[in-house]
Amino acid sequence: MDALKHSRWVPVAAVALYVAIPVLCSIYYAVFPGGEFSLRAYSVITEDASLAAAATRTLTITVLTVITLVVTLVPALVAVHLWAPKLRPILEILCTLPLVVPPIAIAAGVMALLGMAARQGRGSVPNAISQFLQNPDLPLILVGTYVVLCLPFTFRSIDAGLRTIPLKAMVEGSAILGSSTFGTIFRVVIPNIRGSMLFSVFFAVALCFGEYSLAATLSQQTIPVWLDDVSSNNFRASVAIAVLLNMTTWGLLLVATLSAGRFAPAGRAARAEKKLQKKTTQKALAS
Amino acid sequence: MTQAGAAPAPTQSGAEQGGAAASPAQRPSLFSRARWQGVGSALRSPATLSLLPLSLVLLLFFIVPIVGMAIIAFTVTAEDGSTGVGLDNFMALTSGSHSAAIVNSVQVSLVGSTIAAVIGTLTSFCISQIRSEKLDSVVAVFTSVLANDGGAPLAFSFIVTLGNAGVVYGLLNLGDTGFSLYSWQGLVVMYQYFLIPTMIMVTLPTFVGLRKEWREANAALGGSAPTFWHRVGLPIAMPALLGGWILCFGAAFATHASAAVLIGAGGYPLIPLNIGALLGQAGDSQQVAMALGVTMVAIAVITLFAFNRLQRRSARWMH
Repeated sequence: MDALKHSRWVPVAAVALYVAIPVLCSIYYAVFPGGEFSLRAYSVITEDASLAAAATRTLTITVLTVITLVVTLVPALVAVHLWAPKLRPILEILCTLPLVVPPIAIAAGVMALLGMAARQGRGSVPNAISQFLQNPDLPLILVGTYVVLCLPFTFRSIDAGLRTIPLKAMVEGSAILGSSTFGTIFRVVIPNIRGSMLFSVFFAVALCFGEYSLAATLSQQTIPVWLDDVSSNNFRASVAIAVLLNMTTWGLLLVATLSAGRFAPAGRAARAEKKLQKKTTQKALAS
Repeated sequence: MTQAGAAPAPTQSGAEQGGAAASPAQRPSLFSRARWQGVGSALRSPATLSLLPLSLVLLLFFIVPIVGMAIIAFTVTAEDGSTGVGLDNFMALTSGSHSAAIVNSVQVSLVGSTIAAVIGTLTSFCISQIRSEKLDSVVAVFTSVLANDGGAPLAFSFIVTLGNAGVVYGLLNLGDTGFSLYSWQGLVVMYQYFLIPTMIMVTLPTFVGLRKEWREANAALGGSAPTFWHRVGLPIAMPALLGGWILCFGAAFATHASAAVLIGAGGYPLIPLNIGALLGQAGDSQQVAMALGVTMVAIAVITLFAFNRLQRRSARWMH
C-alpha cells in the first residue's frame, strides 16, 4: 500500500524533471563554458548595440501594446455589459477567434495587405501607410497584431472581472457625481477589477517579450528575432540571453496567473473565510 | 458628455421625437436634419464611442488581413492578366514540398498530441490521487505558465540539451539510437514541453472534480474500483480527455516559432515553416502561402469547434 502511495509521485516527478532539465542545461551552457563559471557570454549586453536596439524596440512595442489593449478592450467590455448585452456573444466570438487562427496565418494576411498597399507605387497614400506601419523604429503593425493576439486571454479575464462588481451602480453613481463615461471607467471600474487588469497587463507583456512568428515574418528585429539572428555566429550569447528572456516571461506569466487568482472573488472569499476561522478558533482558545 | 444611461437605439429616440403620429407619411424627408438626429446621437452615444476603438483594431489587424488572405488564396491570374476565382493556388499544395509539409504537420501534431494526452492524463490522474490542495494549486499555476511557453528560448534550451552536442544527448549516447533533434522525433519531444502542461491543465479539474459521493455510491452498490472507472469515472472524464487531446493537436499544429528556430528553413517541411519561407519570396509564391494559410485556418477552426463541443459535454457534470 505504501509503495502504491509513493508510485503516484513517479509521473509527477518525471514531468517535473522533463521540465527542469532543459532549463538547467541552458543555464549550465550559458555560465559554465568549458566547466568554469564565467559570465563572459553576458558581455554581449554591453558590447552589442544591436541587442540594445532590439530591446528598445521590444519595450516600445510592449508599452504601446499594453496601453492600446487597455484603452480599447475595457471600454468596449463595459459598454457591452451596461448598454448592449446582446452584442456580448458577437464580441466574445470576435475576441476568441485569434486563438483559433495561428499567428503565422495572421502574419500571412498582414503581409498580403502590406504588399498590396506597397505595390500602389511610390508616393501613393497606401504605400505611405504601409511604410508608416512597418517603420523599424516604431513598428505599429506589430502593436496592432499583438493586441489582437492578447485578446482571447484578456477578454475572458476582464469579462469575468466585470461580472463580479456592481458595474451599473458604479457607473450611474459616478455619472450623478459628474464624471464622464471614460473618467468613470479609468477611475472607478478599473481599480475595482485589479486582478483581471494585472493579469491582462502581465500576460500582454509576456506575449510581447516572447513573440517570434509575426516579428520574424515582418522582418522586425525584436529580442526573439535577434536571438535567432545571432545564434548562427555567437550561439552561447543567444542561449545566455534566451535564459534571461525565458526567466522574465515565466516570471511575468507567474505573476499574471497569481494575480488573477489572488484578486478573484472566489479566492478572496476563501481567504476571508480562513481569516474568520482563525479568529473564531483563537477566541475559542482564549476563552 | 451625455448621460451614461442614454439609450443608444436610434428607433427609441425617433419615437420620442415623432410621438404617436410617426406614420411613414409624416416622417421628415430623407435630407432634413430631423431625420438623421437619432442616428447622430446614436453614433455619439457612449456605447458606440466605447465600442469603436476595439472594433477598429479588430477590423484593421485581424478581420481585413484574414479576409484579404482568403481573397488572394482564391484569386487566379490568367495568362492575359485577367483575374478570376479558382482553386489553382490550392492545387499547388497537392504536390512537392507543400504536400509533404501538410503530411508532416499532421503527423507531428498527431504523434505529439497523442503522447502528450497519454502522459498528461496519467500525470493529472496521479496528481488528483495525491489529494493535496496545495499541489493542485501549484500545478494549476505552473501548467498555465508552461502551456504558454514556446518560441526561440524553448528551441535553444532543447538544442543545448538534446542537440548533437547537447548535455543529455552526450550522457545517454543518443547518437547510437539514431535520435535526431532536427527531425520529427525532435519536434515531438520539444512540443511535449508545452503540450503536457496543456493536457494537465485541461484534465486536472475533471479528475479532482470526480465526486466522492459517486465513488461511495459505487461501493455501496457493490462495485469495485475498476467498475467505478469503467462505468462512472471514464465516461465522465472522457470528453475532457478528448477535448484536451484535440487542444494539444491544435497547439502543435499552429506552432511556428520554436520549430522555425530549431529547424530553420528547408530542413523539414511543416505548414507554418513553408508559409514563413514563401512569404519571404516574391511573385506567385505569396499566393500559394495564402492558400496554405487558409488551409491552416480551416484545420484550426475544425479543431477548436470539436474542442468546444466536447468541453460543453463534460462541463454538464462538473458543477
